[in-house]
Amino acid sequence: LLSFFKNMTGSKELTSENLEPIMSKMKEHLVNKNVAADIAQHLCDSVAKGLVGQTLGSFKSVQAHVKQSMEVALKRILTPKTSVDLLRDIAQAQAENRPYTIVFIGVNGVGKSTNLSKTAFWLLQNNLKVLIAACDTFRSGAVEQLRVHQRNLKALEQNAVVDLYEKGYGKDSAAIAKEAIASAKQSGHDVVLIDTAGRMQDNDPLMRALAKLVTVNNPDKIIFVGEALVGNEAVDQLTKFNAALKDFSGLANPRHIDGMILTKFDTIDDKVGAALSMTYTTGQPILFVGTGQTYTDLKNMKVSHVVASLLRD
Amino acid sequence: MVLADLGRKINGALQSMSKANVIDEKVVDDMLKEICKALMESDINIKLIQSLRKNVKASISLEENSGAANKRRNIQKAVMDELTRLVDPGVEAWKPKRGKANVIMFVGLQGSGKTTTCTKLASFYQRKGWKTCLVCTDTFRAGAFDQLKQNATKAKIPYYGSYTETDPVQLAHEGVSKFKKDNFEIIIVDTSGRHKQEQELFNEMQQISSAVNPDSTIFVMDGTIGQAADGQARAFKEAANVGSIIVTKMDGHAKGGGAISAVAATQCPIIFIGTGEHMHDLERFVPGPFISKMMGMGDISGLMET
Ligand SMILES: Nc1nc2c(ncn2[C@@H]2O[C@H](COP(=O)(O)OP(=O)(O)OP(=O)(O)O)[C@@H](O)[C@H]2O)c(=O)[nH]1
Ligand SMILES: Nc1nc2c(ncn2[C@@H]2O[C@H](COP(=O)(O)OP(=O)(O)OP(=O)(O)O)[C@@H](O)[C@H]2O)c(=O)[nH]1
Ligand SMILES: [Mg+2]
Ligand SMILES: [Mg+2]
Repeated sequence: LLSFFKNMTGSKELTSENLEPIMSKMKEHLVNKNVAADIAQHLCDSVAKGLVGQTLGSFKSVQAHVKQSMEVALKRILTPKTSVDLLRDIAQAQAENRPYTIVFIGVNGVGKSTNLSKTAFWLLQNNLKVLIAACDTFRSGAVEQLRVHQRNLKALEQNAVVDLYEKGYGKDSAAIAKEAIASAKQSGHDVVLIDTAGRMQDNDPLMRALAKLVTVNNPDKIIFVGEALVGNEAVDQLTKFNAALKDFSGLANPRHIDGMILTKFDTIDDKVGAALSMTYTTGQPILFVGTGQTYTDLKNMKVSHVVASLLRD
Repeated sequence: MVLADLGRKINGALQSMSKANVIDEKVVDDMLKEICKALMESDINIKLIQSLRKNVKASISLEENSGAANKRRNIQKAVMDELTRLVDPGVEAWKPKRGKANVIMFVGLQGSGKTTTCTKLASFYQRKGWKTCLVCTDTFRAGAFDQLKQNATKAKIPYYGSYTETDPVQLAHEGVSKFKKDNFEIIIVDTSGRHKQEQELFNEMQQISSAVNPDSTIFVMDGTIGQAADGQARAFKEAANVGSIIVTKMDGHAKGGGAISAVAATQCPIIFIGTGEHMHDLERFVPGPFISKMMGMGDISGLMET
């Protein structure tokens, strides 16, 4: 367990003053695990607040108490408040005779296209017909990248129905998504996976274009793809992507991020703090974690594992 | 400006200290707390922050009889020294030589911006009149060759790669040999993204490196990277003899502290920063002046006169 608790002597009432050194070490511990600094601070403040006024006899119980409170707080944040069952939702759309649509959004290079392809693989395994919409019409090679994935996936699964809808580069991505959805309806695809270009959250024109794509197509799910490597920026990315969806939509009931995929989980050892930063910021669930570069490297997140990693020395 | 926000916060902390009449331990601790907070919010490696705090505290003797002004000056100098150490390893960056083949190999984590930055750097040298080319050895990522090809074509830079060859070492060898024979001066070798947890990928990187024997190996880092930066940077340095660093995606809101922490981990200088997705979005980086600019040196030197 956290070795720094050894410095704490027991047998007195816990006050914010005598908790301060522990909490500031705890904050550094969480920051070291790649939790955004602000969030680590909030978390420590709220845990400390809950402990103030308690009198603890022995050294051991202080240690246990702080750890326990932190564990509870971490678990609460990481446990999804809404249940997401994509397959059930897709079945619902099937019943309504329409394709289910998912758009993948996020900053540059985090793994949108790759994890979209992994998601396609998972859907194919569930016997669903998938159409991939190549709506990154900007980055060099983006269309060819999806073409390769589509061909690979088709070759991997016998009888798999997975197609690519693409119109090359330089076109309006909102319009291409719309055409792709219409085409999916016609050809009987169950799910449309919409790839989008990576963009910086401060890039106003690109964020407006993304909001337009969402407004025009009203996808069933908006999935934010973020990488586990990201530090404090996680908070700003999510806040601004949500703000753009809200502010640039022109809708009375604007959309927001419905869930997240946390990628490159295999590159961070136990510095899993981004999982916490992202769920804390959005209150939305992490639908999958990306754990590698092949199609099967898409997993459900184990909350208990993440909590244990966060608290490990 | 990159890190401007961090600079402002540190400045603020130093200034609030300068308002205090007596410089006692509490004043110093408060200032350090503010500075460390700003550094943590910028993704600077936590161990570096801890050692900065220790070093600043060690470098000032509060008991000494000197006046508050003197103490203040010492503290500020200690902070500046520590910050400078963060971004300046004090080693000269490698420079290509005219009239010979200079092989530059790009390495880095997945999606950090290698392929994009390869073309940016090639275009940078081309504009300066070097005979420049690109070699794609990424046979793993879907569409990697198309990506490099389209970028190179746009920039009118000769390139080498293959849709069918699957061995990156073979491609690296072929491409570099060919361009050497044709008297190219700058040969930039792009490689697949990789990470320290997958030993096979690191072995492959070492094999490519042996095949092309690079004059310089550039580690490309995403400016948004957090606390995983240190470990990855150390591993790349050890495995691939990294010589310098390029930090990408600094056109956003990120302060780049994770990537900056890699300087201490590798003792390699940052030579460029990427500031956008387009060809020309590459800025030269010189560590020395950077810190003074970041700190708004005018303010600091003003303070230091007091
Ligand atoms: N190790 C690891 N690499 C991943 C993972 N997911 C994606 N990648 C790699 O990350 C790199 C970037 O992936 P892309 O899917 O192209 O990222 P993107 O977000 O679509 O990028 P842009 O469209 O350029 O913004 C590729 O090399 C992927 O193989 C993951 O879970 N683990
Ligand atoms: N905004 C911004 N985007 C950048 C910058 N540098 C690269 N990118 C984007 O980051 C994404 C990933 O860049 P790539 O060049 O494909 O990265 P890579 O390291 O070659 O990726 P892999 O080969 O998959 O490991 C692309 O969308 C690029 O356009 C930059 O300085 N600013
Ligand atoms: Mg993509
Ligand atoms: Mg690449």
